[in-house]
Amino acid sequence: MRTRALSRWFLFSESTLVYIFLYAPIAILIIYSFNTSKYAIWEGFSWQWYETLLNDDLVLRALKNSLIVALVSTIISTLIGTLAALGMQRFEFRGKGAIDGIFYLPVIIPEIVMAASLVIFFGFIRFTLGMTTVILAHIAFCVSYVIIVVRARLEGFDKTLEEAAMDLGANEFQTFFKVTLPVIAPGILSGALLAFTISIDDYIITSFVAGVGSTTLPLQIYSMVKTKVTPEINAVSTLLLIPTILLIVIADRLQREKK
Amino acid sequence: MKQFVIIICLIALLGCGNKESSETKKLNLYIWSAYITDETIKKFEKQTGITVRYDTYDSNEALLEKLQSGITEYDIVVPSDYAARILIHQGLLETLDQSKLKGVENLTPRFQDMPFDPNHGHTIPFLWGTTGIGYNKTKVTEPVDSWSILWNPRYQNRILMLDDPREVFGSVLKWKGHSINSKNPADLEEAKGLLIQQKPLVKTYNSASFDEVLLSGDVWLAQGWSGQLAKAADQNKDLAYVIPKEGGTIWVDNMAIPKGTKHTEAAYAFINFVLTPETAAEITNLSGYPSPNEAAKKFIKPDILNDPARYPDEQTLAKCEFLMDVGETSTLVDRYWTEIKSH
Amino acid sequence: MTEAILRIFQRFPSVRPYALLFFALGILVLLLLFPLLIMLLYSFAQRGTYGGLKPIDNLGQYLTSFSWLSNYIRSLDPIYIEIYARSLWMAIATTGLCLVIGYPISYYISLKVQPSWKNTLLTLVVVPFWTSFLIRTYAWIILLRSEGLINQGLMALGWIHAPIETLLYSEFAVMLGLVYGELPFMILPLYASIEKLDTALLEAASDLGANAFWTFVKITIPATLPGILAGIILVFIPTIGAFITPDLLGGAKSILVGNLIQNQFVIARDKPFGSAICFGLTTFVLLLLFLYARYSTRKEKEVFV
Repeated sequence: MRTRALSRWFLFSESTLVYIFLYAPIAILIIYSFNTSKYAIWEGFSWQWYETLLNDDLVLRALKNSLIVALVSTIISTLIGTLAALGMQRFEFRGKGAIDGIFYLPVIIPEIVMAASLVIFFGFIRFTLGMTTVILAHIAFCVSYVIIVVRARLEGFDKTLEEAAMDLGANEFQTFFKVTLPVIAPGILSGALLAFTISIDDYIITSFVAGVGSTTLPLQIYSMVKTKVTPEINAVSTLLLIPTILLIVIADRLQREKK
Repeated sequence: MKQFVIIICLIALLGCGNKESSETKKLNLYIWSAYITDETIKKFEKQTGITVRYDTYDSNEALLEKLQSGITEYDIVVPSDYAARILIHQGLLETLDQSKLKGVENLTPRFQDMPFDPNHGHTIPFLWGTTGIGYNKTKVTEPVDSWSILWNPRYQNRILMLDDPREVFGSVLKWKGHSINSKNPADLEEAKGLLIQQKPLVKTYNSASFDEVLLSGDVWLAQGWSGQLAKAADQNKDLAYVIPKEGGTIWVDNMAIPKGTKHTEAAYAFINFVLTPETAAEITNLSGYPSPNEAAKKFIKPDILNDPARYPDEQTLAKCEFLMDVGETSTLVDRYWTEIKSH
Repeated sequence: MTEAILRIFQRFPSVRPYALLFFALGILVLLLLFPLLIMLLYSFAQRGTYGGLKPIDNLGQYLTSFSWLSNYIRSLDPIYIEIYARSLWMAIATTGLCLVIGYPISYYISLKVQPSWKNTLLTLVVVPFWTSFLIRTYAWIILLRSEGLINQGLMALGWIHAPIETLLYSEFAVMLGLVYGELPFMILPLYASIEKLDTALLEAASDLGANAFWTFVKITIPATLPGILAGIILVFIPTIGAFITPDLLGGAKSILVGNLIQNQFVIARDKPFGSAICFGLTTFVLLLLFLYARYSTRKEKEVFV
């Protein structure tokens, strides 16, 4: 059928174009991070911007802050998020609908509204802006994502395993750690990974609640994009790509294994 | 799995537990993005043994917001003139203990007693400048001597204006012979009309990298601040900076100590450090902005010192005004600004 | 310790869910609900002369004269309505474009590709999303500016003789940036939905004589509607509050709801007014979601052949 071949050709070429569209800026970023010139005219290969980057204290400090914030928020939000997901998935109780809504709120509310409300709140209780406020804010929005992911993983979880364990005399805690946890671990890990990514890349909320010495990488990059505009930014992004891709590959592998 | 989690927690705690031991030897600095380099900061750290943490901002409003919320811990901030006045009015700045200051006599007389802060009661000038027009001499061959050139249709889509309502309105107000601090609604309405007319000619509104946009060739005329534009002109001989004949804004950015800081000694040390001629000169040489420090002139690079873009003559300066806060009229300005932007 | 907790669970079995939810719920109540409440209160106040809040002298009179509604009334001023309308239009256009661009590729990956490749291709769609959004926007600036790569390339090919000025700092650039950022959020739900499509239905339709077009319209689209709707919601909501992309790629020339809010908080320093707009926006979004939830539960109840 000619139409079938035509439609197949159309789908293939459209998809290819979309991939080109998605990756063009990234390719540009990487290529130009090696450019000797400051401007978008290719002049030669050079590592200089990477050198500048390694000597740029502001960027390095921002990176450290981002990592600390992301690690702490991820750990805490994953812990409490998993517990919450378990609670939501397994039990029916009063107010469940409303609580469900509350858990979804950070995901649906426009980021700027959440950012504005947080800064008003911290001002209201006279809490100094700094690393703590940033971490608290990150936990607030990460926990929702963790709950969503872990809950999805909990769907269709076979309870008979747990019942068997309890019949054999294990109490609730033991059952949880030895039976439930290993099965839902990939889901928890996905949730954690998602939380980590969101935290590392957050700009809007962080910009409103950051204080002295709590400049994170996105804040620093934004300031660089607005003022310095040198290929140093390209170098930063290229370097950031590598761990990101690594994390994705690891996550992918883990998902496939556990299946 | 459990061990993994524990290890991560430990690493996080180690990162968190990075509390500096000595409280007195710290300084938290909040300053404009282009103003100070790591070099100068390191010299200060070496000289005094005080560790400096600094954050940057690129608008007075961002600074006002942070200080007014009362929940930040900066020891030195660098507000512009009108912002300083607001802060003084609201009691958010420490009154300076004049006996702790060293080197105030180094300042040029004009900057020792300014309308927004008589006798440097709360602030010490850091850098100053003017607002004018940067342009490309090869693309704009007619004389650039009036703000009206930014309304010339020949340069459609090659014009940049600052993303700053007061400065943008200021340019029109000056052009039409009014004060940039006019509270007269009729003046402002006229200005708004002209700015709406101008909008199709404007390529972008940008307060942070206007020099870079001019350098890249995206625009040929850019409203902007003297220091950065003068630096751009250094890099590209085709560029020049001029203050239109109607006059422009003169501004001073000043060091001030927010009320209630914990590191007052360190703050005074920093101010005195900046007041020394050598440091003031270094700051000027590196940032490209002129210094209010008279004694520093002998250390400033001659091409900066003799550059009329950076150190305009008295005649031109006489026509420039300081921006002052316009109180309730700010709401009107903001509303008109919103109207212009949504056109 | 664990014994104590277990005993409490046995005595009061209904405590269990609440115990699990306690921390997460606590965090959100403290950091989301409570701040939103304070912001609501702020929206009823007025801006002080220098920013901050204006103290209210006579509370009784303030309430009865409806002064507490003044920010909301002000937010309905035509000049702001124009801004909401423009943001709405931007969001709808972006969502529409994402749908049109995203559907073919989702269809291709889920139905026309070897199963072993599916996961990889899908991950490839998502990878750009995992790099910093700001940096990607910056890359577009390099590509689109007057002396940028696209203009340079087109001139080198001889297709144009002078750079296209309006590639950057224009509505086109903003739309491009928004679509670019949101596309993965459309592709993922579409893929999830299309993957569940029963190809037997498609074959049955063509056996009955329907051509590709009608099969698509009458069978594929309705069957994948849940994915389409999910994608629309996932793209529309972030887009309507966007302000960084319009700022960086639009040259700060146009003002959308997100910019308006940011302006109020950082430039005009009118927190009460900004809060009022925030609430307006949030109410609008919640309304949309409510309608979506009603519609999707209704659909679930319908029996699908």
